[in-house]
Amino acid sequence: MRSWLPVLRDRRRYIAFELEAEDRVRRGDLIGEIRAAQTSLFGDLGAAENRLRMITFDGRFGILRCIHTRTEECRALLATVNSVGGTRAAIRVRGISGTIKAATEKYIPQSILQPNENKRRVDLGPVSGSVARVHGREIDLCPDDRKITEGSGTRYVGLTSFDLCGEDIDADGTSDGL
Amino acid sequence: MNFYECNLHTLPDGSDSPSRMALVAKRLGYSGIIICNHMTAGRAFGFDAARLVVGIEVVFGVEIVATNQRALHAKAASLREKADFLAVHGGDEKINRAACEDPNVDLLAHAYKGRTGIGVAAAKAARDNQVSIGLDLDPMIRLRGAARVRWMEVVRRDLGLIRKFDLNLMISTGAKSHLDLRSPRDLVALACLFGLEREQAIEALALPKSIIDLNRRKWASVGVELL
Repeated sequence: MRSWLPVLRDRRRYIAFELEAEDRVRRGDLIGEIRAAQTSLFGDLGAAENRLRMITFDGRFGILRCIHTRTEECRALLATVNSVGGTRAAIRVRGISGTIKAATEKYIPQSILQPNENKRRVDLGPVSGSVARVHGREIDLCPDDRKITEGSGTRYVGLTSFDLCGEDIDADGTSDGL
Repeated sequence: MNFYECNLHTLPDGSDSPSRMALVAKRLGYSGIIICNHMTAGRAFGFDAARLVVGIEVVFGVEIVATNQRALHAKAASLREKADFLAVHGGDEKINRAACEDPNVDLLAHAYKGRTGIGVAAAKAARDNQVSIGLDLDPMIRLRGAARVRWMEVVRRDLGLIRKFDLNLMISTGAKSHLDLRSPRDLVALACLFGLEREQAIEALALPKSIIDLNRRKWASVGVELL
């Protein structure tokens, strides 16, 4: 909707975020979850003042819009999202910008590495299972023994390639692949 | 600033290995993490692998779990020499008080449970013994509705105490998985919702670093350092 006068139009900020989740997440579920977190934290009155909108979301990266004075509140409410549609998830704010174009160019990587789909076995004494997903050096492991993740409510055990091959001394934790 | 996440739980206490926690924390902007597994959790896993992660300091501390005051003092005294960082699992009024009265303890973690907080007597003791109070934001992230309201009421009341007695405050998430971790800026934004000042929150996130540095110096006895 257009404002009547350009001077009355509110100034906006665009929040670029990354969703870290254990499984694929639908856009509708994420919007619902953010709305629920927002009304739970600020109530209807405060939620109306934030004027949060989802601009884009591609399954991993997305952009939200809010009023330019309310970015800290938005950060706080995005931090309280802990699961989306029953899947454990976390929203990482990558940056805040004044235009959609700048937010996209600065904070959203254009080429996204596809996670490997290979199912490999890992056996490390106390922990064993099959690899569910690999992101660079980070490995999500589906444990044989479900009890191991009971306390934290997650489905996978988080490991790194450092745990699998201890002799990799000069690794800086940023390179891709195992 | 040197932000430290001061109370993490890894395998088998949580569901992530120390190195995974370190990698994710580094990406979120921390310069160090302190892993405090509960004493009751069993043998820890993957310590050596965590040291291979470059660009972030991984400190291994202990979180003491005790059922009564005497056991707590005994465990704190015996573990002080071995660990760089000593936390106590609170949540019970007597344990909270006992932890605040023990100069060996660095951090009182998980102090808030139901209506239990720290209270005036414990706050005074914490000031005298330089025990930090851990503001664990996990309930803020996980709980919704009435349970969260109750928790926030208690925390708000005790933040008044912390300000009055000028206690050391540390902010953490008490994460058991990398999905529980939040970036320092997110934690500051969350803490500001309680009426904590921004500078105060930033200070609270940087405090663990100075405590660790103090603990690593060689103390012959109280106030006497071996050089």
